[in-house]
Amino acid sequence: MKGVGRAVSGVLLAAGWVAMLPAGGAELDEVRRRGELVWAADQEGGGPHVYPDPADPRTLAGFEVEFAALLANELGVRPRFQQGQWDRLPLLLGQSVDCVINGIELTPERRRDYHCSRPYFGYALQLIGRRDAPPAAAADVAGTGPSGAWRIGVLSGSAAESEMRGLVARGAAQAEVVGYDGTLDSLEQVRTGVLDAALMDDCIFTFYADRFASLRAVDRPFAGGLYTVLSARDTPLLAAAIDEAIGRLIADGRLKSLYDRWDLAGRQQMLLLRDATEIPAARQRSLLELVSQTLPLLLASAGMTVLLSCAAFPLAIVVGLAVAIGRMYGPAWLRPLLTGYVEVLRGTPLMLQLYAIFFLLPKIGLALPALVAAIAGLALNYSAYESEIYRAGLKAVPPGQFEAALALGLSKWQALRYVLVPQAVRVVMPPVTSDFIALFKDTSVCSAITVIELTKRYSVLALTTGRIVELAVVTALLYLAMSWPLALLSRWFERRLERPAGGRP
Amino acid sequence: MIGIESLSKLRSGVAVLDRVSLAGPAAAVTALVGPSGSGKTTLLRCLNGLETFEAGAITIAGHRLTPGPHAAEVLVQLRRDVGMVFQQFNLFPHLSVLDNVALAPRLVGRLAGAEARRRAGALLERVGLSSFTAARPGTLSGGQQQRVAIARALAMQPRVMLFDEPTSALDPGMTREVLDVIVGLARAGQTMVVVTHDHAFAKQAANWVVELAEGRVARQGTAAEVL
Ligand SMILES: Nc1ncnc2c1ncn2[C@@H]1O[C@H](COP(=O)(O)OP(=O)(O)OP(=O)(O)O)[C@@H](O)[C@H]1O
Ligand SMILES: [Mg+2]
Repeated sequence: MKGVGRAVSGVLLAAGWVAMLPAGGAELDEVRRRGELVWAADQEGGGPHVYPDPADPRTLAGFEVEFAALLANELGVRPRFQQGQWDRLPLLLGQSVDCVINGIELTPERRRDYHCSRPYFGYALQLIGRRDAPPAAAADVAGTGPSGAWRIGVLSGSAAESEMRGLVARGAAQAEVVGYDGTLDSLEQVRTGVLDAALMDDCIFTFYADRFASLRAVDRPFAGGLYTVLSARDTPLLAAAIDEAIGRLIADGRLKSLYDRWDLAGRQQMLLLRDATEIPAARQRSLLELVSQTLPLLLASAGMTVLLSCAAFPLAIVVGLAVAIGRMYGPAWLRPLLTGYVEVLRGTPLMLQLYAIFFLLPKIGLALPALVAAIAGLALNYSAYESEIYRAGLKAVPPGQFEAALALGLSKWQALRYVLVPQAVRVVMPPVTSDFIALFKDTSVCSAITVIELTKRYSVLALTTGRIVELAVVTALLYLAMSWPLALLSRWFERRLERPAGGRP
Repeated sequence: MIGIESLSKLRSGVAVLDRVSLAGPAAAVTALVGPSGSGKTTLLRCLNGLETFEAGAITIAGHRLTPGPHAAEVLVQLRRDVGMVFQQFNLFPHLSVLDNVALAPRLVGRLAGAEARRRAGALLERVGLSSFTAARPGTLSGGQQQRVAIARALAMQPRVMLFDEPTSALDPGMTREVLDVIVGLARAGQTMVVVTHDHAFAKQAANWVVELAEGRVARQGTAAEVL
């Protein structure tokens, strides 16, 4: 119970905390007094926006790093960088961050929830494929791919994702859209053949094209939009100052020369920004509308959470039991190998193991679908923990039981199967059940390899709708509804164990 | 049916059995007596292969055991013919009384489930426990548990039965019911080796008595001679 309890109260706490904050960074006068403009971005997002300088990874490079410096300079202060996960950057505005500058696309929802500055950059969406493979043209995704629907990777929460999902919804594309936490992840997966294509801002592929020599731009870019600087709703003076500053940077040509230096077609950018039209703010939805629109998605993702747990855990138990028996009763050469297996899996983060299965195995020609990789990763990781529990359980069976079984003529394996394991199982039921709850909670890590379960769905919905608190409550209730029966089961096992079922000689 | 020739066993360099030989009537009830730590349990466990030994040889129920580790197939064969009853009963707490007795016939004797249970029921009746077949062992008294353990060992119809102080974990009031069962078996011609401190029982049932002291045979002979 502890695991999910903690996760759920974490979500509630975080939600309550965000709600209580004076949703905003510092107003202009405080920024000036402090002498620093704190801007947030995700350096993992990569170039050409913000990335660790290859010449000196302690410092950052990128056209937005230079843009932030120009902006801060216009406000008469120094820039200070704050790292954050890309799709959660806007949440930092509620904390110590004054603005977000990181390829944030101007959308009606963002216009409603934040101050969006006048645009400072225009992007288009580019489809990327392998040189030797379809699709040959962007229009091809309207038909079927080489093996059914196209598999197309996008950055989670990006305009590319909503564009692609929009195309699918309208029937203009037959594709499975796969969301990644990093832009380069999807390029990597196109290279290894896990994906057919990726959709991303054109400037990103232009920047990384040399590193992915086997990939090519499919057709001309299509769709597109504008980047904006986000600031909190309650700092209007800061927002106005940012707008004025961008205006000056455009007018006196400093922004153009910055883009020219970065090979970003300065003149075209200026023409685009000059004629950029206002995007209207989206309408605020009522609670009923919000719940009725998001609940089906949340329920489907809760189903994914259940599927992951219920598929992975039985596997973990079977493998864990085999490992425990192998370590205690197996041949001498096997024991150190199994000890190594347990220690490696317990000693490295689950996230890393999932990454290895999903991103490294395709390099040796073993590309697993994300769902299979997720189940395998969870099962392997938990098998290490289960094997330790079983080992303790088997050790708790008095040695006289094994000898009595042998003395009756049972083989070692029969003694295990009919005498030791059944007694150990009874002892391990409570810890195993509570591990099931922990696994249930750990399924959220699978979002790193594109599997969308409940936590991921919550964070995507919370960000696109801006209704962080309400959705957190709904999500927490869903988690409770799923974990409560398990908690009851765990307690039932514990009570049964406390009851003297006796006879232990 | 049992022969022990100059058996020696070391434990961390110390001889816990030192050139033990048995000279006694072939089909009989043998009692092992001697002070605590003299090696009685160790000798008994050598007889069904739960312990290995360093020198000498054992012949028992047609099987021959030699020094060093025993092959798994040898042990399985041996244990079909040699049953053992432990001081602490060692019943399986997760199985009913009936299933405790039926387990070996089913798994080792390869009897069908119904046939194994029928045989188990008959044995439980023989030790006077036919009304406890469905109970868990933990709900029985010590004396009843030890009688189940005897029935369990008998279920494979062993040619030799080994008992290691079968009554010393029991309250005095319960020893009689267990000893009666063992005496009954002896009368019916069951070959057995019984480790015991109970001289009265040894005199009543045993036709050969071996007294161990510090791992060696101190004396052996008929009960009248030794005790
Ligand atoms: N598992 C063991 N590990 C190490 N030494 C042991 C073990 N079991 C018995 N011994 C030692 O071997 C010797 C013989 O022990 P054994 O149990 O055979 O004696 P015993 O005659 O059965 O004694 P008791 O009447 O107390 O049961 C003793 O010195 C004992 O300490
Ligand atoms: Mg003893």
